Amino acid sequence: MNGIHDMGGMHGFGAVVVEKDEPVFHARWEGVVRALMNRTAGRYYHLDEFRHAIERMPPAEYIEAGYYERWLYALEELLVDTSLAQRGEDGPRPAVHARFAPGDRVRTRNLNPKGHTRLPRYVRGKRGVVRTVSGPFLLPDKNAHGVREWQPCYAVEFSARELWGEGAGERDRVCVDLWEAYLEEDE
Amino acid sequence: MSVERAVADLEGLPRKNGELVFNAPWEGHAFGMAVALSERGAFAWDDFRERLGDEIGRADREYYASWLAAFERVLLERGLLSQAEVTARADEYRTLRRDPVF
Amino acid sequence: MSHSHGDHEHHHAGGHQPEAPGDLEARALALQSLLVEKGILEPADVDRIIAAYEHDIGPMIGAHVVARAWNDTEYRRRLLADAPAAVRELGYQYPSSTHLVVLENRPGVHNLVVCTLCSCYPWAVLGLPPTWYKSAPYRSRAVSEPRAVLKEFGLELPEDTVVNVWDSSSDLRYMVLPERPAGTEGWSDEELAAIVSRDCMIGVALPRVPGAVAAR
Repeated sequence: MNGIHDMGGMHGFGAVVVEKDEPVFHARWEGVVRALMNRTAGRYYHLDEFRHAIERMPPAEYIEAGYYERWLYALEELLVDTSLAQRGEDGPRPAVHARFAPGDRVRTRNLNPKGHTRLPRYVRGKRGVVRTVSGPFLLPDKNAHGVREWQPCYAVEFSARELWGEGAGERDRVCVDLWEAYLEEDE
Repeated sequence: MSVERAVADLEGLPRKNGELVFNAPWEGHAFGMAVALSERGAFAWDDFRERLGDEIGRADREYYASWLAAFERVLLERGLLSQAEVTARADEYRTLRRDPVF
Repeated sequence: MSHSHGDHEHHHAGGHQPEAPGDLEARALALQSLLVEKGILEPADVDRIIAAYEHDIGPMIGAHVVARAWNDTEYRRRLLADAPAAVRELGYQYPSSTHLVVLENRPGVHNLVVCTLCSCYPWAVLGLPPTWYKSAPYRSRAVSEPRAVLKEFGLELPEDTVVNVWDSSSDLRYMVLPERPAGTEGWSDEELAAIVSRDCMIGVALPRVPGAVAAR
């Protein structure tokens, strides 16, 4: 979904603020939320579902909320008033044929799904080069909605200028992990 | 006073990669005791910190030697322990008349 | 590591004769036992506080891995080829749920790690991420203006250095292997690990030799 969480390239958030000697948890409840998630993830929901639950937060709340507040929201979504059915095993990774190889020129598809996706807006419809092939991993777009489909995942390299135009560093690059469903051959 | 604030407020705590470093278990215990008692309101953290700064300036020694001295001073000044009982108990440990495992 | 207050390392190795505690240790023990006896201190409090700090050793694992790779070219090769296996080789656990890729900084190439969509992070080697890594400013800007972000961290790279930003996905996690700084020849793994900070392994800092800082 084209949500507020898809932040790559957005303006207006200001400088990165670094907290000196930051504690692991700012309050005890943060640790509790972390522990709750560790205990339930994988058993009752997949992390793709967890991420998608966070993405569904109302945008204004998402921006206002701290990191562990978002987690708490997702845990409530996933655990409260549900049947808490245990998930089945993902099963062994099947052998999946990879359509692309390192060095292949690819173009990202211009997908705008309403559900979960790991194709950020800033790389849609862009030209890049496959650097490495990994996986297969479950396609998040389907897995977040309860359907398992294994796909190869590629580290695709884009020039900063392809993504951000003339103002970007001439030789700088951005590498993004993209599932095969997001890509097509670039002639 | 939370642990987080207590530690964040201190300059010079031995750290490695942002994590605290204890060269021996007793250093960890000295650290934990001071923070725990301050959390419980046995003394004000600022009182401890002031004495710590004082002890660090007093002699060139390892950080937790100063820490321990400052902690001891706060306890004695607040009347939580007496000098006599601390010295007597430390002697028992030093001379193995008391088992260090408890 | 220094043990100037008496060395208790081999305390139990020989068996029956325990070594007497050093002066400082005896005093610490005295305080703790008296405070517990008087009901002023709960032993569990002390353990909790120590554990909170001691067990969050995340970045130490990454730093150890980096130091080993600097000192051992064969290990470095294995690390770049199969990072989870190389991490396990040093005695650490690496979970099977995510894959780890180590990115090698080279002369003229600098790597930087971000997750724009959520906050994917190589927590198995670096511990829990700092708040800034999870913040909107970092997530939005690291991909579009990495040099400006690095400058805010005090890192100004030469114009001709290529900045390679890695936007992590859910299943793959990235960690940066920084370049070994000059002046560290002959250093042990432990000495080297001490100068490899978490920030170096995210790519927002470079390892610095302590003595060289004064020359700044």
